[in-house]
Formats: sequence, C-alpha cells, structure tokens
Amino acid sequence: MVNATKGVFISCDIPMAQYIINMNASFPASDKFIIHVLDSTHMFVQPHVEGMIRSQIAKFREDNTYVKPN
Amino acid sequence: MGYGEKGGKPPFKKFKGSSKSQDDPRKGFVEDDDVYGGDDAYDDDEGKTKDFSKLELKQDHTNRPLWACGNGRIFLETFSPLYKQAYDFLIAIAEPVCRPESMHEYNLTPHSLYAAVSVGLETETVISVLNKLSKTKLPKEMIKFIHDSTANYGKVKLVLKKNRYFIESPFPEVLKTLLKDDTISRARIISENVNGDGFTISKAAGEIEGTHDELLNEAEVAAAAEEKETHSFEIDPSQVENVKQRCLPNALNYPMLEEYDFRNDTVNPDLDMELKPQAQPRPYQEKSLSKMFGNGRARSGIIVLPCGAGKSLVGVSAACRIKKSCLCLATNAVSVDQWAFQFKLWSTIREENICRFTSDSKERFRGNAGVVVTTYNMVAFGGKRSEESEKIIEEIRNREWGLLLMDEVHVVPAHMFRKVISITKSHCKLGLTATLVREDERITDLNFLIGPKLYEANWLDLVKGGFIANVQCAEVWCPMTKEFFAEYLKKENSKKRQALYVMNPNKFRACEFLINYHERARGDKIIVFADNLFALTEYAMKLRKPMIYGATSHVERTKILQAFKTSKDVNTIFLSKVGDNSIDIPEANVIIQISSHAGSRRQEAQRLGRILRAKGKLQDRMAGGKEEYNAFFYSLVSTDTQEMYYSTKRQQFLIDQGYSFKVITSLPPADEGPSLSYYHIEDQLALLGKVLSAGDDAVGLEQLEEDSDEIALHNARRSHGSMSAMSGAKGMVYMEYSTGRNKGQGQMKSKPKDPAKRHFLFKRRYGAP
Repeated sequence: MVNATKGVFISCDIPMAQYIINMNASFPASDKFIIHVLDSTHMFVQPHVEGMIRSQIAKFREDNTYVKPN
Repeated sequence: MGYGEKGGKPPFKKFKGSSKSQDDPRKGFVEDDDVYGGDDAYDDDEGKTKDFSKLELKQDHTNRPLWACGNGRIFLETFSPLYKQAYDFLIAIAEPVCRPESMHEYNLTPHSLYAAVSVGLETETVISVLNKLSKTKLPKEMIKFIHDSTANYGKVKLVLKKNRYFIESPFPEVLKTLLKDDTISRARIISENVNGDGFTISKAAGEIEGTHDELLNEAEVAAAAEEKETHSFEIDPSQVENVKQRCLPNALNYPMLEEYDFRNDTVNPDLDMELKPQAQPRPYQEKSLSKMFGNGRARSGIIVLPCGAGKSLVGVSAACRIKKSCLCLATNAVSVDQWAFQFKLWSTIREENICRFTSDSKERFRGNAGVVVTTYNMVAFGGKRSEESEKIIEEIRNREWGLLLMDEVHVVPAHMFRKVISITKSHCKLGLTATLVREDERITDLNFLIGPKLYEANWLDLVKGGFIANVQCAEVWCPMTKEFFAEYLKKENSKKRQALYVMNPNKFRACEFLINYHERARGDKIIVFADNLFALTEYAMKLRKPMIYGATSHVERTKILQAFKTSKDVNTIFLSKVGDNSIDIPEANVIIQISSHAGSRRQEAQRLGRILRAKGKLQDRMAGGKEEYNAFFYSLVSTDTQEMYYSTKRQQFLIDQGYSFKVITSLPPADEGPSLSYYHIEDQLALLGKVLSAGDDAVGLEQLEEDSDEIALHNARRSHGSMSAMSGAKGMVYMEYSTGRNKGQGQMKSKPKDPAKRHFLFKRRYGAP
C-alpha cells in the first residue's frame, strides 16, 4: 500500500547534514523531525521545522564568523 | 550550504566603497557610514554625524591626496603623486587604521597627536599642512579637536643635561602655571644665572631636520624651523618622578616630552662606536631614526617595523649616534646572542665593550662605557640572585644609561616594564616592535611607559621596495568529513573540538599536498606550524618529518635546524609555537599553519614574519638589489567550525597592513586520490578513534611561559610542560614560578593555570591577569 507523507526535502553539504542530524538527535523523541535521511547530502523532514532549521543554521554560522568590532 | 562569501573582511569592501566613488565625494562618504555603523566616539546620534556630504570641495581637489572627515578619520589616496609626502606627514600625526593597496585610512587620536608634537610638529603646522593636503576644507570639528588635543602637549620638556634635570618651555607663562603647583615649586632648584622671571633663557636650534623639512617646504610651511627662545628652570632629580606625575593629563595636563641632549652630555663617558661603512640604513630606517633624533637630541619612543625589515640595525644605529652606554633588553637568551652579534656586525664597537648578561653567560663589563645585552627577566627579577649576578645588576642599577634599547616591546607585560624602567636610569628609551597589537589592549600603556610611537613603516611600501619578501597569503578551506563533523557537534566532545578540527583528514590531505607541491615542484623550504601538540606529533610522524616543540632539547633543535638549513633532504620541519619568535630560520619561504593559538593577531603576524626576511645574500639585501620575493603563507582552516572565527580574527592585523588572503577551496585536487594519506574511509575512522581516545590533556594546546599576555588563554587550559623551560635552558631560571616548578612536573600537569584561581597572595606576585 502506498503511504504519503508531506514533508520538506533538504539538500545541503555533508557537514550541514550532520549538523541537522545532530540537532534532531538532541530533541526529545516526540519532537524528532527527520523522516528519512536519504544519503549524506539529502534528507526529508517534517514540514513545520524548515524555519527553525534555517534560523539554527544561520545562528551556527554566525557563531563561527568573526566580525571586526571597529 | 557552507560559506557563500566571507563575511569578516570589511576593510576591502569599505575601501572599494570610497575609492570607487572618488569622483563623487558625497556618495563616497555616505557609503562609508554604512560600513562603520556606530563604532567611534564621535557618533552619538547614529551615523548622522558621519554624513560629510556638506564638506566643501576645493577647486583643485584632484591634485590633493586626502579626505579629512569631521570624525577624525582621514583617507589617503595612495595613487596620488603626493602620496609619499602625505604618508610621511600622516604617519606622524595619525594612527593608521587600515592600509590596503590604494586607499589608506587613518584616525586622529589624542595619542597620535601627542606623538606628532613630540617629533616636533606644532599645532598650527599640523592644521595648515592637513589643510594643504585635503581635498575639502578642513572640518571645524577636526580643527577644534587638533587644537584641544595639542594645546598643552609639547609645551613643556624635561631635559637631562649634565645630569641635571631641567623643565624647558618656549612659553614662560606655562612654566609659571606649573610653578603654581606645590609639588613642582618645591622640587625647583633656584640657580643664579637668571633673568627677571627667574627662568634661564637659551636659544634652541631648528626643530625639524631632514625628511621633515622636505615635506614642510613642499607644503610651504617654515614656521617650525625658526629659531626660538627657550625658558627653563631646574628641578631636583629625586623629585622627577613626582613632577612628571603632576604634569600628566589627569592633573595639570602638560605632558612632558623627554629629550636627551647627548651631544652636550660631558658627564657620562663616550663610547667609541661608529656604524661600519657597509651598514647602509635603508630609507625607512633613516626616516625612523630622523624622527628619533629630529632636533639633535634623542627622543624616547617606539619604532614599529615589520619582522625581517632590519629592526636591529635601527637599534644599533641609534646606539651609535648617542655613543653612550647602552642597555639592550631582549626577550630571551637566543635573541640576546643575536643582538650581541648584531652590534658586532654593524658597529665598530670593541669586543671588550660589549657583554651579555643571561643566566648562562654572565660577562662582567670593564671600562666606563659599554653595551650590555640582557633579558627583561634578568633585570626585573625580584628574588634572590647569585652573588655574581647581584654584582652585575648592581652595576646596571648604578650606571646612568645613555640609551635603553627594548626589543619586542609588545610581548612584555606592563608591570615588568615599570620595574625595568624604575631599576634602570636612562636618558632615552627606544622600543622596537613589529606588531603593536595585544589581545589584552595593554598596548596603550606603552605610550606613557616608553613614549609615543615615533614611526611606523607601511608594509606594502617595504614589499614594493624589495626590503621584505612579497608574501602570498592564502586561507585554505578544508571541509570537515562526515564522521569528524558528527563528533565535533557532540556536546560531550566539546573539549576535543580543537583536536577534531585540526585532525580533519581533509586538512591533513591538503597539508600533505602542499608540502609535496612545494618540496618537489618548487624546491622550497617549508615550516609547518601547529600549536596543538597532539596534531603536531601525528602529522610529523605520519609524514616522517622532523619536529621541534618546547620539550625538544637544545642539542636536538640545533641538529634539526642545521639539517634544515643545509641538507637537501630536509625541506620541511614541524614547529610548535616555540618557533613563533625565538627560532631564526631565514631559509624558509613557505609556512603552512595547521593549528593556531585561538584568535591571536600577534601570533599570525609573528609567524608571517618568519618568512618576511628578504632572501638572498646579505650584500644583495643591503643594496636592495637582487631579491627573490617568493614566499607563501597558508593557513589551513576546517570550514563550519570555530576555526573559521579565529582564523578571520587572526588575519585582521595583516589585513590592516594591506595584505589580502586568497581563499582556496579545492585542495587537494580531486585527482590526487589515494596518493595522499587518509584516502580510505577506514584510515579516517582509525584516525578519528585515535583522536577520541586521546586524553583531554594530550589534545590541548602546548603552553609556554612566554604566553603571559593572551587573554584568550585565561580560560582554564591544561598545560603541557616544556622540559627545557623547567631545566632553565631557556634563560628563564630567574623567573620565580619556573624555579618553583622544578620539583614536581607530574603535579604541575594536572594543575589548571587559570590565573583567576590563584591565591590572592600569588596574584599580587605575578601581577593580576
């Protein structure tokens, strides 16, 4: 039988995929959002988390970026 | 995802902004506003004060080289025909903020104006020359700022003549104001030869010489060179310290300039030394010296020249001009030897007149004048000394030094300076450094402890002149592998993060590729820097290259360095941060940096300095002739990790000097495949296992005793002791804490070095963090 699930398809580089997987792992079981990890650069996630993932990644990158204070 | 564009390098954008729009100044400055958003003292009401579109352009603005803005910022077009003159002038009055190729940015600060006054420029001269050079009419705010800041600077001088201290000023009314102060009037010694006011009057010759004159003539300003009357009164030598304090800005606000009239000093014996004829100071060395000896007297201050640009020749030349006893302070025993060698190399000083004073070699000096080379620690040491060194120190204390020459002033903590300066009586102090930056911002203390910055060379101009090597800087981006990044993200591995991003197999492969390329294809000599000892050992073992770190014995070090210098088979060495300063390796022309000390801008600059020395024979270098400008500086960075942050921060100093970092993303090339290590996933996993199973201690940073200033280090870190330091092989036996440690090294390893956790009694002893 065919089973259809609505979700968001994410395509990213290897480290970011790991970052999202790690984020998923840090959530309690009820909040896990990854439906399927397709390969090392693609995955399928719950539709409502897209914004959250984007903002988390933006913050992560922000932390690793130095901005000259002056 | 990854990084589409590098965010942390605003200087270039900024300058593109202003140079592109040079024809339309209004637009240019508005663009700058965006970049600057809320950072300096002038913009209380959000950037509105930075709209300079109302500045009036002069008719012939295309002929003038600089933009002066009301907020104290000055922009200089380096492609202007007047660039050289304008640069000389600006560097004297303003602080360089950023100096890329075609547009420089300067900032007027009270300190920089103080320095300007102390090299003999007057308020009116500063304003009129600025006005001559500026494309726009000088903003009123700037004129007011210059007036306010310089109103009292340089009006009063403290002069040591024939061992008597005089306070000198061309303005008798200023002296009267000073004398109203109790402390100062009590310190005054009334002499006989006086006129109505009670001040001695004498004529002072022209204020400015040489290169300055040229500029000033060009700018048609002659006022400064006029002959002037000076009024002076004598003060009690024992009160000098108090008088100086009363004159500081927080009290009477007449900061005193200190000058040494060495030609008229008949009390202190002359030292027979001249520069050898083959020692030809280069133009910038001459210029820095002319700033120091501007009016025939010696001024105290700091000269900033890049590594490898010949700081020691400047120091030796200064000593040769003053021709009095000279005390030269260096940071460690190795550089003491180098300084002694430089003195013998460049000057005609006799062998017996120069002596070294370190823990290993305590040479007593004979005769009544001479050069003593020693370390800061030897002089500042407060504990018990051996009888022999006590005698030498006593001699250093009692002697009146003509010149106190201080090398690498940026590394020495301020309290150590105070101690050194209080112990030694010197007429004139000269500080030398390549990198006037510290992460703890204590650098401003130097202004008052030594003196203003007299000269700062522009790195790019020296590169163009062929005086230092032309370095290609590159940042190599290595993506983390899947497995390493997964571990990096885990919370429980937070202490191993550094080891994980340094040991990233992609980084290793990039490093291996670069080594192979430079060794085989170009025949270069390569230094690989790794602060992380675990990584250093792993890399060096895997690639079968020699390495030197803190614990490497002196004999072994010498052997490795000798092999590196002479042997054709040893072209790569791995260095921990012991190599940052003290090891002199003129042969190397490639640096690969695989791990570094957090965000230390100084370390980055010092490391670059290892390859800045222009290659070729000494004679070629002196003539500025046959130079080979091929040097490479690679910094390997694992993307998406903290290293990106540190890396950008570290580069800031060099970027401000005008260097640009090229980003390389595709190393090693895909076709290298299995010819480099860690191609197979099994190997990578084995490496990962090794990193993870290593103790937290082992993967930390190596810590050396020289790291006293870095704030970044003050977070608790495990230390990896260095054997040579413990055994005193580094000339540090006189530091109290190193002798105390000799007892138990095992114990020491487990102790966190966090100064905040020290007992308060010890805090006082080491100086608060």
